[in-house]
Amino acid sequence: MKKFLAAICAAAIVFVAMYYSTRQPVTLTIGIFAGNNWDVPQGEPYAIIDEVITNFEAENPGVRVEYVSGIKREDYSEWLAEKFVSGDEPDIFFVLANDFNLYASIGGLMNLDGFIAADKNFSADVYYPAAFRFGQYENVSYALPCESTLTFMFVNKTLLAKEGVALPSNDWTWRDFLEICRKVTRDTDGDGVPDQFGCYDYTWRQAAISNGVKFFRDDGKTSYFADSRMEEAVKFVMELRGLNGGFEISPKDFDVGRVAFRPFTFAEYRTYKPYPWRIKKYSSFEWDCIKMPAGSSGGNISVMDTLLIGMSARTRNKDLAWALLKKFCYDEATQQMILQKSQALPVRRDVIISAEAAEIFSWEDSDTAAITPADISDAMDEAIMPFKFKNYRAAMMYADAELTKIIDGVVPFNNALNKLQKEINARLQY
Amino acid sequence: MQNLLTVAGMHRLLYVYNGFVIFVLMAFMCLTQERINDAMTARAFLESAGAIPPSSNVIFWTVTAAFFGFVLSGHFYRKSQNRHAKYLLFATEVVICMLLMRVLNLSYDGVVLLVVADLMYKYDGRRQEYILLIAMICLYFISNYNMAIFQTKIITFEAYASYYDADAKAVILALKNTCYSLNIVCFVFYLVLLIKSTHEEKERIRLLNERLEEANQRLRAYAIEVAQMAETRERNRLAREIHDTLGHALTGIAAGLDACIMTLEVAPELTKQQLNKIRDAARKGIVDVRRSVKKLRPDDLERLPFQEALLEMTKDYSASSGMEITFDIFSWSDNLRQDQEDVIYRVLQESITNAKRHGQATKVKITIGGNENYLLIVIADNGRGCDDVKQGFGLKHMRERLELLHGTVHYWSDGGFIVEAMIPLNREAQHDKNSDSR
Repeated sequence: MKKFLAAICAAAIVFVAMYYSTRQPVTLTIGIFAGNNWDVPQGEPYAIIDEVITNFEAENPGVRVEYVSGIKREDYSEWLAEKFVSGDEPDIFFVLANDFNLYASIGGLMNLDGFIAADKNFSADVYYPAAFRFGQYENVSYALPCESTLTFMFVNKTLLAKEGVALPSNDWTWRDFLEICRKVTRDTDGDGVPDQFGCYDYTWRQAAISNGVKFFRDDGKTSYFADSRMEEAVKFVMELRGLNGGFEISPKDFDVGRVAFRPFTFAEYRTYKPYPWRIKKYSSFEWDCIKMPAGSSGGNISVMDTLLIGMSARTRNKDLAWALLKKFCYDEATQQMILQKSQALPVRRDVIISAEAAEIFSWEDSDTAAITPADISDAMDEAIMPFKFKNYRAAMMYADAELTKIIDGVVPFNNALNKLQKEINARLQY
Repeated sequence: MQNLLTVAGMHRLLYVYNGFVIFVLMAFMCLTQERINDAMTARAFLESAGAIPPSSNVIFWTVTAAFFGFVLSGHFYRKSQNRHAKYLLFATEVVICMLLMRVLNLSYDGVVLLVVADLMYKYDGRRQEYILLIAMICLYFISNYNMAIFQTKIITFEAYASYYDADAKAVILALKNTCYSLNIVCFVFYLVLLIKSTHEEKERIRLLNERLEEANQRLRAYAIEVAQMAETRERNRLAREIHDTLGHALTGIAAGLDACIMTLEVAPELTKQQLNKIRDAARKGIVDVRRSVKKLRPDDLERLPFQEALLEMTKDYSASSGMEITFDIFSWSDNLRQDQEDVIYRVLQESITNAKRHGQATKVKITIGGNENYLLIVIADNGRGCDDVKQGFGLKHMRERLELLHGTVHYWSDGGFIVEAMIPLNREAQHDKNSDSR
């Protein structure tokens, strides 16, 4: 019996010794994908990451940070899942919006509330609420925001100037929007077919959001498509489309400067505004961006998409992983770097409204620039976050198909929204 | 023995079978995880699984180590004699069982039956039916309610099986159920064997008991027979002795006296001589009677001086019974009569025997003292004593013997049992002895 106990003790000591010996040279891994989250071209995919890692390793001697390069964004979700299944997932990793709820619910992501509460140097108040809350699942933080982007309205300044219309201010409304569109939609070459248009690609979704519609309940079990504000939004989109007289606008029309407005993400704005992409794309006209027009019952609101970074629940180096996570998502220097080098927006409010931001956003003379860092900061404060529940994409695809039919007039409008809401609610139950 | 071997064999088979099933299940889980990764369906698997599975390495080593630990703790549990160690080992076994089930995502709960089998194996009837019942209920809840604590983190077997196409999945599920059912069959068979072997053991003990009782009865009858034979022999010997000594002397005396009656008138001188001869014959007769009586005395008393005989007797008794007997002799009368010696000897013998037989004493203290008028003997033991002393055969005899010498006996319980005997050494007795020897 004593021999037996002795053997157990010896085994325990060997295990502990092995555990500590394997811990000695600490290596942290990061799961990242090449390029960015926003579907825009990017020159050096790992420039920011490499610099952050270099800084982190300098601050933490004896720690090495590694990542696997060359994973495309479309393969990333499967790559990460495979890493989880084989048990060697990275210590911290980018979390795609589609994956967030899955990993939070199955216990793959570390609950960060403990770290947040324990860390005196950390305050969630520096973040925009929509960015920070995007990393929460059932009111528990599982990931921190790293960078965000939101939708703005691109304005063809050359076209508006030609038509003698002033650039709308950042608090413009649907009424202003409709007015300008009506004014600029016309036949310029006299062939009887309209060849200059007000707006391209303004969707019912954007209209509904700026009219204060909340599509789903937070748990994703019920939808609110029959809301009266939804009805207003759909009617507005139908009215806007009616201006084109049934003529379908193509992206090429915008590219060549024949469309006054087009919603774009801020990432696209950042990409195409400065050299060299500017030459490649919209070189034939002057353009700028402003906030989305406000609906009659809403505000100048758009959806803010945020890239999250989470920590594996099984990481062996919790404190170092938290430090690295903070290095990406909380460190001011990193956030400044995101402001300078990334297409997206940093998530720290103080970085957005800093002097450097004002400098970076003013590619043109600052007096003619339509949007200021303060406007961007406002928009980010007002922005709402996208839904992340499991059936969200499928429900939205179904809703899009049905609403396109309604807007195109294939399905009569009366009572169609009630029917749609019932259909979607039924689908959400699975 | 043959049956016990079969029970042990079945027990081993249960272990081997469960080890095999667990190994196959573990291999299935590990391989499926590898295949899921190769087939690039990890994301879909995670979604249907609802939990993060441990890596194949972790599953393999945990299952192997846990099963090894399970077998070891089970083995030591069955071998252990110490009660506390036994409970500790059983608890270890249950904990490892839960760990095993947890790692195997509760897809196989056959190990629970192994735990029950071990418990049944060690079942010895002492209040253990409650422990057994509680343990079995707990294990049942654990296995059937899939350990509610872990509920959220469990990946069902179906999630793994769903990776394969519908036909393969059906076969896999059927195989799994077969494995489980087979385990139950083995377990029930094991129980049957166990019950059978217990039953046979009981039957064997009953038969042995019967034979023992029979032998006892024969022995008792034989003892009575032997006693009767001894009595008859003794009676015959007495009869012979009386016939040879008293009969001879008395016959001679009677014949002599007859002659004397005839010659008394005629030749008084001759008659006187003749009477002297008759007296001598009577004296000789008395000597013969004494010699005969001597032959009935205990051996030690015959062989040794009285005090040494007493010591020899107690020494022998303490050597054979393990009882510690001490003597305290304050005074001693050197000229004890033979009958007094006999009584003292028997009183001591009887008291020591009682101390052992009735009191289960381990120590006896004998104190002998007195003055020229009486002798006092106290025999005290450290045995159980008894509150209500029933005068048995031994005590009654003791009293009777002492009363013949005008002595008394008292006995009482005080911690142990105490016997106090008093024998008067008065002149009358002295006189008796003197006249006797005259």
